[in-house]
Amino acid sequence: MKVDIALFASLSGFHTEAGDGHTRHYELAPGTTIADVIAMFGLPDQPRIVFVGGRHAEETSELHEGERLAIFPPVAGG
Amino acid sequence: MRYILRVNMSDLAITKEDLPAKWERYGGRALTSAVVFEEVPPTSDPLGAENVLVIAPGLLSGTNTPNGGRLSIGAKSPLTGGIKESNAGGQAANGLGRLGIAAIIFSGKPADESARYMLTIEADGAASMSRVDEWAGEGNYETADAIKALRPEGDRCSTITNGPAGEAGFKAAGIAVSDMKGYPNRFAGRGGLGAVMGSKGLKAIVISDKDLSTPEHADKEAFSAAIKTFSAALKEHPVSGQGLPTYGTNVLTNILSEAGGLPTRNFSNGSFEGAEATSGERQREITLERGGNVQHGCHTGCVIQCSRYWVDKDGKYKTKGPEYETVWSFGANCGINDLDAIAELDRTCGDFGLDTIEMGATMGVYMDSGEIAFGDGAAALAALKSVFGEGKPGRVMGDGTEATGKAFNVEHIPVVKHQALPAYDPRSVQGMGVTYATTTMGADHTAGYTVTANILKVGGDIDPLKPEGQVELSRNLQIATAMLDALGLCIFVAFPVLDIPEAFTAIHEMAQAHTGDTWDVDALMQLGKETLVYERLFNERAGMGPEDDRLPAFFKNVELPPHNVTFQVSDADLDTVFDFVPEVAAGMGLA
Repeated sequence: MKVDIALFASLSGFHTEAGDGHTRHYELAPGTTIADVIAMFGLPDQPRIVFVGGRHAEETSELHEGERLAIFPPVAGG
Repeated sequence: MRYILRVNMSDLAITKEDLPAKWERYGGRALTSAVVFEEVPPTSDPLGAENVLVIAPGLLSGTNTPNGGRLSIGAKSPLTGGIKESNAGGQAANGLGRLGIAAIIFSGKPADESARYMLTIEADGAASMSRVDEWAGEGNYETADAIKALRPEGDRCSTITNGPAGEAGFKAAGIAVSDMKGYPNRFAGRGGLGAVMGSKGLKAIVISDKDLSTPEHADKEAFSAAIKTFSAALKEHPVSGQGLPTYGTNVLTNILSEAGGLPTRNFSNGSFEGAEATSGERQREITLERGGNVQHGCHTGCVIQCSRYWVDKDGKYKTKGPEYETVWSFGANCGINDLDAIAELDRTCGDFGLDTIEMGATMGVYMDSGEIAFGDGAAALAALKSVFGEGKPGRVMGDGTEATGKAFNVEHIPVVKHQALPAYDPRSVQGMGVTYATTTMGADHTAGYTVTANILKVGGDIDPLKPEGQVELSRNLQIATAMLDALGLCIFVAFPVLDIPEAFTAIHEMAQAHTGDTWDVDALMQLGKETLVYERLFNERAGMGPEDDRLPAFFKNVELPPHNVTFQVSDADLDTVFDFVPEVAAGMGLA
């Protein structure tokens, strides 16, 4: 299945596909969870802010065809 | 003993008086709001002689408290018609704290409206007023340079200056405070306090703290231990220790756009296709490529260091940041995806002395009117400059979003209590809707920053798209924020404080060790509540009621893409945010 994955701020260097910006297209096996993606990229073991389709998502959630996954390290401002 | 410096602008008399015992536990916002409550008739003209301009460092400012150098400026607001505390970074709070000044209170106004004055406070406490008529109409940067030229070699001073927008009485005028390098780039931006300063003929304040040491502590050893704990927490927390110093406040652009909460093209969408181009990540890359600075504090004692300088293509200083709120207001909200264009608008606002949040929201409604196109940075700059020059929209823009929106018949005008909403759409960050609607300040994100639990998962996790839990979240954060503002702490300490219990404990340990008074968690919350009581009562007496604690109707009636949500918190629930006020007011003898 095709999924867009965006890695932001200090996580942006963990993409395994080449490209510009924070978002890349990935081909994943059906049933892949967010936790699987985190393991696949080897993201650092720290709190994360995770969105699927712009809504907060649990890392145990499965991804689906055409979805957009975005992962941020702990950030804030304002 | 801290003291109050009183300056009567009617006769230029300057007097010093001891801080009254009833205000001994107050600093910053608590003190500015108490003074405005006590001394300003609530229905008076904000630009008249009856208004005061109060400038107060936090209770801990001037000490080595990490991130303890925030400044509060208070008055009755010409924009909202209610009480105002506008909070700024920069060096002035540190200097005032070292001088032992709890507050400067400017009252009255000069008979000669063409007169311009500068108050100078030397490091020995000597205060004097001088005429600076020749600076009339000068921008903040030019004024800061002129002050620098007057000071003796080797001086260490900070400045508080008023730009031409404040002199013109514009309701969107803010007050500039110098940073550690002397740039007048930190702002008490909101609520038109520059116009109050201008009405008093006050062009500049110079505060020298050359060779002054930090104020004495009641218990030096305990204070040192507490600041060590507090500093460690600020450095340990990933937000204040890594995210903010690396990317600055603008790290929020991508995450708010992702969450559908970044108001785009005058609050008509929650995601911006230009977020990537205007993000904190991109800002850092460009700044580093051009040799700019990407990490420093805005005041002595800042350990978070989220400030940065934007430089032009030739590597020359243009402005600070720009900060997230400014990148949003002139960026996504105007459909502009060019950081150089945004920085130019920021610099122009900074030099004129205009609030970038109010002006970006103003530009958004002006673009929504169809007079100029969304995304046209050059047209936006020309429109901004028209406040003092030729063309449209002209002077009305200086009075902000509501005035401009009405003048150009715009349907969606994003204001509460006449003040523009900042960078979080209340339909997709519903807690912010509660804060915008109910805060005493008019729409203000810093008053109760629910983005923490709504979006960032700091201090809890409350669904931003639903109404449940938002009132309690906003209430608690409004109380806590008023407390931080009273102590002079940067609001960004809230991120570690919400997650690390030792950091919260360290706050009352610092307050207790410094002052010698008894401070604990309850006392800190009481300080926040008392501050809000002064503000609520002032606004009530100025004529505000529950109908003023509401968002504009379109937030309840028009769905916001991409989540297609409306603001769902009921009016009845909004009216419970300040339930604690009557009881606390009675305890303060203010029934």
